[in-house]
Amino acid sequence: KNLKCVTHNLRKMICTWDVSSKRRHGQTDFCYTTSNLPSPVCFKTKEEKVEIPVPDSSSMVTITTSSIVGTAFATKEFEIHKKDISFAPLTPHILSLTPDFSTSTLNLKWSDNGSVFPNGLDAFWQIQILRKEAMEKVAQVTYYSKLTHEDIILSWNWTSDMPLECTSHYVKIRCYINVTQFVGPKDWSDWSPVEEVPGKDTEPNGSGVFPQDTVVAVGSDVTICCVHEEGQQIERMTYGSEVYPMIRLSSRSSAIRVLNASASDTSGTNVVCRLSEYVLDGTVLFVGYAPDTPEDLICETSNFLIIKCTWKPGRPSGLYGKRRTKYSLFERISGKNVSCAVNEMNRERVCGFPVLADQKTYHFTLGVSNPIGQTESSLLVDLTQRVHPKTPEKLTISGNSSTSVRLHWFINGSFAEIRLLCQIEISSGHLEQKMHNVSMPGGKFSIYTAQLNTLHPYTKYQFRVRCSAADHFWRWSDWSRIEEHTTLEA
Amino acid sequence: MAAADSPSDALRRRDLCSRGIRLAGKMRSDVVDLLDTYVERQGLDASASVAAVEGVPAAATEHWDEQTGTQRLLENLAAYRAFRTLLAQMLEDQQEQLGEADAALGQALAAVLLQVSAFAYHLEELLRLESLGPPSEEAAGPTSLSDLSLFERKLRGLGVLRELAQWAVRSARDLRQLTKPSPGTSLAPSPAESP
Repeated sequence: KNLKCVTHNLRKMICTWDVSSKRRHGQTDFCYTTSNLPSPVCFKTKEEKVEIPVPDSSSMVTITTSSIVGTAFATKEFEIHKKDISFAPLTPHILSLTPDFSTSTLNLKWSDNGSVFPNGLDAFWQIQILRKEAMEKVAQVTYYSKLTHEDIILSWNWTSDMPLECTSHYVKIRCYINVTQFVGPKDWSDWSPVEEVPGKDTEPNGSGVFPQDTVVAVGSDVTICCVHEEGQQIERMTYGSEVYPMIRLSSRSSAIRVLNASASDTSGTNVVCRLSEYVLDGTVLFVGYAPDTPEDLICETSNFLIIKCTWKPGRPSGLYGKRRTKYSLFERISGKNVSCAVNEMNRERVCGFPVLADQKTYHFTLGVSNPIGQTESSLLVDLTQRVHPKTPEKLTISGNSSTSVRLHWFINGSFAEIRLLCQIEISSGHLEQKMHNVSMPGGKFSIYTAQLNTLHPYTKYQFRVRCSAADHFWRWSDWSRIEEHTTLEA
Repeated sequence: MAAADSPSDALRRRDLCSRGIRLAGKMRSDVVDLLDTYVERQGLDASASVAAVEGVPAAATEHWDEQTGTQRLLENLAAYRAFRTLLAQMLEDQQEQLGEADAALGQALAAVLLQVSAFAYHLEELLRLESLGPPSEEAAGPTSLSDLSLFERKLRGLGVLRELAQWAVRSARDLRQLTKPSPGTSLAPSPAESP
């Protein structure tokens, strides 16, 4: 009685039955026939289980049980209809369970065994994560895939809310295949055997506080555990200066849970596990911000040798030293990349990039990253339109006339590719201040000259000069120093 | 002391000892200040107990009374050479971990390192007067910090500074001991001796 048939691959089915007779039986004669079989197929079995083909519509089954000496004592006939056959996929086989301790991530790989089934069927994989000595279920996820009549290796990642070192993590998986054309009941497969990633609390010298010296974002919820030797007791665990309630993970591991972590000091927040007065263990947690996208990215040159990019960094990350926010400048046209030396304590952000021969246009991407995140800002710039000359130097005045003078000044830089516009400010005590603009071809580390006429005789003047690009004004240089000159008497 | 001093050697030794005592006193107060800064900036519990730091000779010694002058100088020199290496290591690690974020702590560490180096040189000078000369430095470097977690490094730094503070006290006592009259090398203590 209770004849049940299950198929795992839609072609063969495994039938099982019960024998109610109290008498000890030796073996069973099993016969089956279907509409497209010429004659019944029979065979003997000692088990109450056989594997026979799945019928197109139904099968007639005859089961005869005999005693040890071979005398038949019970015969029963069954008709198995297609709708009576249930379908459950074979138990999935986990190929690998790989931990990435740095990210507390488990990577699970398994085969979908798709070659057994027709193409295009929907498959659902239920994955269970268990933890601690008591193997408590901490997560159950349903993963979906489509079968392709080939054996495909599926991969899935799960990030734990606590470091994998803290305690052992276990994974098991089962599968459900939606065989739409199958009329019988459909069921989940059995759970796969459990795969384990052992925690440090199972290792002889596994003691420590985890995660070790890690960086997290402000606002994160963080689980920090203390793994100790068997028999040791944790007196208390503190985060910064605050004692936290402990969560027991195993006989050698307890954890604390810090919610909504706030920014740490420059040297990080200490998490101390006090085992006894003289035994301290600990870790340092750095809590900071991902970098803000740089604002007001400006790139200009003051000498056509170096391009200087500046930007506003946004909120400080709160991370320093080797965890600080790092900047790099990538120029897409030339493919050149420059890393920027930035002093995190200094609010001004500057990065230099060499002016490249025969390149006027630059497509910059300022890459910004720290252990918590990364971002970037881009800028396309025509260098000739971003000239911000250095301050004119060595301003000298010459002239032996009562109404005109010649000014000479030097600008550090190579401006041969552009014209310069220079502005001369003419002041004299009682006279109205005047501005005189003069444009001239740019030169290479040159001295520039301009003549001023229509001055007043025997008058003391103060002159200063500043320059910019003539064709595409961008920014004036700073003013030069003031030079005084008195015109000759008339 | 090994052989009877010439008057100039004795004068030179007394001068070196009294200057050494003042340097040890200054060093001690700076180390105590540095300790407070270090504990506060590293977020440590001032009462935390720290295991002995490998590579640092303990200041406390049972046979202090019986030590000869040379033994005192040699032990002091070994200690301050060790501290010089350890403090340099701490300074480098502090730079790597914090960059410019904690310049105050970095400068305080550098200042004490300078004093430790000066004191080591001072001891070498005293040993030269022994015509024994200072021993050559041992090649064995300290534990590599990369084997230690950040928290272990913080505790280790605490241990180094605490031990250095102890040594500064002991050094002053040792140098005072050297200036005390002993058979054959009587050196009257000079008034400017106590730190």
